[in-house]
Amino acid sequence: MIAQPIAVADRLRHAEPVMGTVVSVDIPAAAASALPGVLRWLHWVDATFSPYRADSDVSRFGRGELPLAECAPELAEVLGECAVIRDITGGYFTTTPGGVFDPSGLVKGWSIERACRLLAAAGVTSYCVNGGGDLQCAGEPAPGQPWRIGIASPLQPGRVATVVTGRDFAVATSGNAERGAHIMNPHTGQLAADLASITITGPRLTTADAYATAAFAMGDVAMGWAERVPGYEAFAVRPDGRTWRTSGFPGDSR
Amino acid sequence: MRRAILALSSTIAGLVLLLSFKTHIPGSTDTGTTAASGSGGAGAGSADMAGAGHAARAGHAGRPGNAAHKARRPPGAATRTVTGTVADTTYGPMQVQVTLAGQSITSVKVLQRTDTGAESDQIDASAIPRLVNETLAVQSAHINAVSGASYTSAGYQRSLQSALDKASA
Repeated sequence: MIAQPIAVADRLRHAEPVMGTVVSVDIPAAAASALPGVLRWLHWVDATFSPYRADSDVSRFGRGELPLAECAPELAEVLGECAVIRDITGGYFTTTPGGVFDPSGLVKGWSIERACRLLAAAGVTSYCVNGGGDLQCAGEPAPGQPWRIGIASPLQPGRVATVVTGRDFAVATSGNAERGAHIMNPHTGQLAADLASITITGPRLTTADAYATAAFAMGDVAMGWAERVPGYEAFAVRPDGRTWRTSGFPGDSR
Repeated sequence: MRRAILALSSTIAGLVLLLSFKTHIPGSTDTGTTAASGSGGAGAGSADMAGAGHAARAGHAGRPGNAAHKARRPPGAATRTVTGTVADTTYGPMQVQVTLAGQSITSVKVLQRTDTGAESDQIDASAIPRLVNETLAVQSAHINAVSGASYTSAGYQRSLQSALDKASA
């Protein structure tokens, strides 16, 4: 049997392996013509920003072989974002997590957000782009219905810890469940272990994704920090199963 | 305690079954791969920003989502089955089939449990209903997408974002 295109009713879903993960794009079927540009963009980001490719701009810049002025101009944009977030997070977000230049903690969210901008520029008003568990969405998946985003339980595979609903927002989650302990507190050099996962919601995925990484490194003190950061909210699951959330977090417990 | 460990192991094995859902057209015995180019690719030739170098954990799998209007099926919504590939688990080959009405998962069925050893039976009995329950539990959340700790290309195959994507076929 010939494979069927991924379309539910009037929706198109596409899953693209890129950047070491899979990016899922959910758009109206009528907007299918906007998809190739998004995929081209994601693969370009992969080639340009991957620290795992020796010939990427990021790798060459990190080794001092390529001056910033000769890199893709987007690298300067990313570095600017990184600097702002490093300051807002009190240095918990860093572009040199292992002592080597690696802005990956921001690039994925940023590239998904830019992909969303491409969709918006193409006139797509309803979309959800999910890059390996960090996503940004706009509009409604069906008339009158907000997006409903499940936050995966880091402790109970297959269950959601909470559901976030909304129309134009980003959701990013950091945790150890998928890849084991890998986020370091840059101030102590220790692997972060206070939390099982932390989810950040807010208007932009670039920021939410980097905040989630930083907040995971902060641990429980991220609650007070996130309360003070305008526009972004946090929800955390602790290793003992208890959860906490900031006062404006747009979700329900379950 | 041993039972708990077995249950956990088998749940993990069971959740692995959710990998690589493929479209099954009723009346056909073939399972054509969906247009989800995510299946099978597993990051071949892809850079590893998400850290595929880390061993992805089988334990963190299933997270199904669903379109929000699950409860109100459009009249005449097609019932379809989505069949997982046969997964080789520690306990032998296993395969599940999910039935959907419109965008709603209505049942999860185990198609294949060829290892009939006593231990496997014991595990199946405890783990498989649990897998079904978990799947439906998330189904009942009526979600469109899932946010979670970043998964790799390989991890995606086990994620229920993957099942969600492929169930849309």
